[in-house]
Amino acid sequence: MSPKSNEPDLSSLAGIDQVIHSPVRLMLLSYLYVVERADYVFLKNMSELSWGNLATHLNKLEQSGYVEIEKSFKGKKPHSSVNLTPQGRQAFRAYKKRMQQVLDDLPD
Amino acid sequence: MSTPISLRQTERKVFRAATNDGLTDVYLGCFFLMFVIAPYLSEYLGDFWSAAVFLPFFGLVWLLIRLARSNLIRPRLGGAEFGPARKARLRSFTTIMLVLNLLAFALGIFVFLNFAEMPLSTYPIVLGAMLLAGFSLGGYFMDWPRLYLYGLLTATAPLIGEYLWNEGLASHHGYPIAFGTVSAIMILTGLSIFIRLLRQYPISREEV
Repeated sequence: MSPKSNEPDLSSLAGIDQVIHSPVRLMLLSYLYVVERADYVFLKNMSELSWGNLATHLNKLEQSGYVEIEKSFKGKKPHSSVNLTPQGRQAFRAYKKRMQQVLDDLPD
Repeated sequence: MSTPISLRQTERKVFRAATNDGLTDVYLGCFFLMFVIAPYLSEYLGDFWSAAVFLPFFGLVWLLIRLARSNLIRPRLGGAEFGPARKARLRSFTTIMLVLNLLAFALGIFVFLNFAEMPLSTYPIVLGAMLLAGFSLGGYFMDWPRLYLYGLLTATAPLIGEYLWNEGLASHHGYPIAFGTVSAIMILTGLSIFIRLLRQYPISREEV
């Protein structure tokens, strides 16, 4: 059955990127979008997440190919830094555009 | 009420968080100490050497600030590299400050050569205007609102100093008192930010 022309089409909601749609990952991607690279300590302070939470969400973003994580050592301490991949940057822009469209299309 | 999310504002927030450690304020405050101490030193060393002896002092402060940043601030706050827009903004700021400094240098030479023919009020007005311009540009390009306040303080300091000197309330054109106050405000502001950061963000032993 086809929807009537005056009824809102909410099918676009199903196409929203679920990886980005989580509030915490969206926040992390927003911070990473405005910088070239940031280390874990910086992201932890900005996001106020616990180490475990931060690592879980960043790993999920890494698995999706949205961020690259570089692990190294500074002296004896581990040092990890993160940057958004071109794919992640594009996905973030697409998500933003889609969300704007979805919210505009929602009925008042 | 929620605040609207803006990527531009987010970038500013991230930039401020990464750079606002109070140590630049301390450095600026130490710079203006030159206006406090040099007038006394000039009685013994002359105008040139009384200012030149500050170069090693500035070097030492700069070195201490670098050490504090790498050993105390970076492990607590972490670090971020900024995007092309911010880098271009900082490049523009550097270029404009270079031009402003050259202009200040040229004006300084001009005033020095024509000192006898110029009204006494010219020097504090020109110095105040240059300082206000420099700090305002810094406030705009660096997104640090308190630099505008520093601009106003440093711009009025020579005028207030001259007034105090004319009234017989201060020596050396009032610079030690006027710039000493400005310098103290900058150093105390910087130190309070620095100490607050050290207390607020202990070094984490854990990293994933």
